[in-house]
Amino acid sequence: MKRATGWLLAPSARPFTIMAGAILVMALIDRGTGYFFSPGTIFSVMQLFATLGLVALGLGLSMLVREFDLSVAGMVGLAGAIAVMTGVTNPWLGVFLGVGAGVASGVLQGIIMIWLGLSSVGVTLGGLLTLQGLTYVLTDNRTIGYPNIAVALKLNAPIADLVSVRSVAALAVFVLAALVMTCTHIGRDVIATGSDRRASRIAGLNTDRIVIGVFAASGACAALAGVLLSYSLGAASPVALADVLAPAAAAAIVGGVSVVGGRGSPMGIAAGVLTLCVLRSGLSAIGVEPHVHDLVTGIILVVIAVLDAPDLARRMTAWRLDRSERRRRPIAGNS
Amino acid sequence: MSAALLPAGLRFGGARARHLVLAARLVAGASIALFALGTPGFTSPLSVNALLNAVSFIGCVAVGMSFITLTGNIMSLCLGATVSASALIFLASLSLGISAAFLLALAFGVAVTAAQGLLVGYIRANPILVSIAGLSLLIGGAALVTGGQRIYPGGTGLQMFKGRVAGIPVEALYFFATVIVGQFILSWTRIGRVMLMVGSNPRAATAAGLGTAGAVTAAYAVAGACSALSGVLLAARYGSGDMELGAGYDYSAIAAVLVGGTSIQGGSGSVLRTLIGVTVIAVIEVVLLLRGFSEQLQYLITGAIVLAVIMLHTVGERP
Repeated sequence: MKRATGWLLAPSARPFTIMAGAILVMALIDRGTGYFFSPGTIFSVMQLFATLGLVALGLGLSMLVREFDLSVAGMVGLAGAIAVMTGVTNPWLGVFLGVGAGVASGVLQGIIMIWLGLSSVGVTLGGLLTLQGLTYVLTDNRTIGYPNIAVALKLNAPIADLVSVRSVAALAVFVLAALVMTCTHIGRDVIATGSDRRASRIAGLNTDRIVIGVFAASGACAALAGVLLSYSLGAASPVALADVLAPAAAAAIVGGVSVVGGRGSPMGIAAGVLTLCVLRSGLSAIGVEPHVHDLVTGIILVVIAVLDAPDLARRMTAWRLDRSERRRRPIAGNS
Repeated sequence: MSAALLPAGLRFGGARARHLVLAARLVAGASIALFALGTPGFTSPLSVNALLNAVSFIGCVAVGMSFITLTGNIMSLCLGATVSASALIFLASLSLGISAAFLLALAFGVAVTAAQGLLVGYIRANPILVSIAGLSLLIGGAALVTGGQRIYPGGTGLQMFKGRVAGIPVEALYFFATVIVGQFILSWTRIGRVMLMVGSNPRAATAAGLGTAGAVTAAYAVAGACSALSGVLLAARYGSGDMELGAGYDYSAIAAVLVGGTSIQGGSGSVLRTLIGVTVIAVIEVVLLLRGFSEQLQYLITGAIVLAVIMLHTVGERP
């Protein structure tokens, strides 16, 4: 029994345990009324997954190498605008240019960070504001419509009532990322760079190239999320930053990515995203008011923050010792 | 973060670079000042008032954010929501009288962030994760209580937080007072020095037997108080509020902190630097506005300048 719980709570399995827990709780609340376990709910979970998932994957990858790519939030809007403006006749051109912009911005920020030895928060904060400014300039601070409605319909058309082309595309990127991370030396190098950059460098790893590559991938993921979102909405507009960044970071961390680097996996991130999506769609499917979702997410995040806190065990031990000390003291006084 | 890891040949450091950076800063500062003064209408009362207003609301949050950054906790994504929520508390409790409402809003802001500070300080929970948790809880909680409705003042007396004294907007006076108090805490109180120590080397500070956890909690509490003040000022200015009131203030605030030259790694910086950072950004925005740049271009140019300034600072501070 103990071994089973130990296995369930192991860092690598925890995202899946949390996800299973979320689904179980939703099922219990649902009590067989069938609102939660319906193809409609699964479809809406996957639609949410398509947008949030790729942003969380990009942010999560940057957290794997112990950086924090704030610019993903700006890239979503910019890539969406680029795709909508260039992909009217040929949607693939829009995808290409949008994702290309993501890669370019990632590489550029990575090079600035490596070359000048800057921390990622500062550089990507500047990048975020710049990308957002570019989006405002490109869209002229208006919502740009995408006349090619056929693409929007095709992207969102249900496949087997459960998924759409858009969510399948997001899933495919996750599978690709998972394959790269587990089956190639790149994955190992990324984890090594995140765990201890200095040691990896001494071991002969070109950590600069890894970091730049990760930022390129992170930009590409965020850009793809933006392109798919704008195509399927049939419009692009400058998005509110907080609406993207906070849930993406939350999903990545629920998905087992550690902010101190070197811990996490794409499949874990996928589980983290699904957990948040299940809570959001599930709660609204059951008819709970939307703000409950925010409260539940907040509580889950607090619990994870407390459980993951490095000094929790030390404080608990100190507290316990202190208490037993106090209990023993009168006995010592008797003798 | 990666500065120390780079081989020496790749670095820009050294005394010569530092002199160059100092020169670049002076030139940049002088050219911004010249550009501003050369802009027609910049010194007009209208534009000065716009500048002071722009500085005040974000400035208060930025002063609070400085404390979080200085203690080595990077940034909080929750301060914008704290601004909004404090404004709602203030407006809703105005029927109890203006000072009671003000104190309630302040106490609420402090409670929200101090709770996060406790987690970050005592068990070293991840500051960004904790702030996102706080953000979710505030947004959910506010929607639960207000039902998503706008809140209108339940009493009078808002004049205390708007209008002007001797020609200066009251908001600016509150902001300058915040800067002075903030810098005082940081430079002349024991706990302020401990905050800086924790930020520059947490392990050494703990080893020295300093109350590091308490200092981090206090830093978060100060941030909450500053955000609540900003919320009160915003509420008084607009006469009503919802959770959108302070949305995005977190990003503007951290940008001001970094442009001021406070190190993102913590331990080095000051509230006065944040004042400079807020002022520089606001001056650039006002100048762009007066020179007739479109709103979109203003966003872009401000973003690019923030990026450039952050790069300039960090290059200069390298050993």
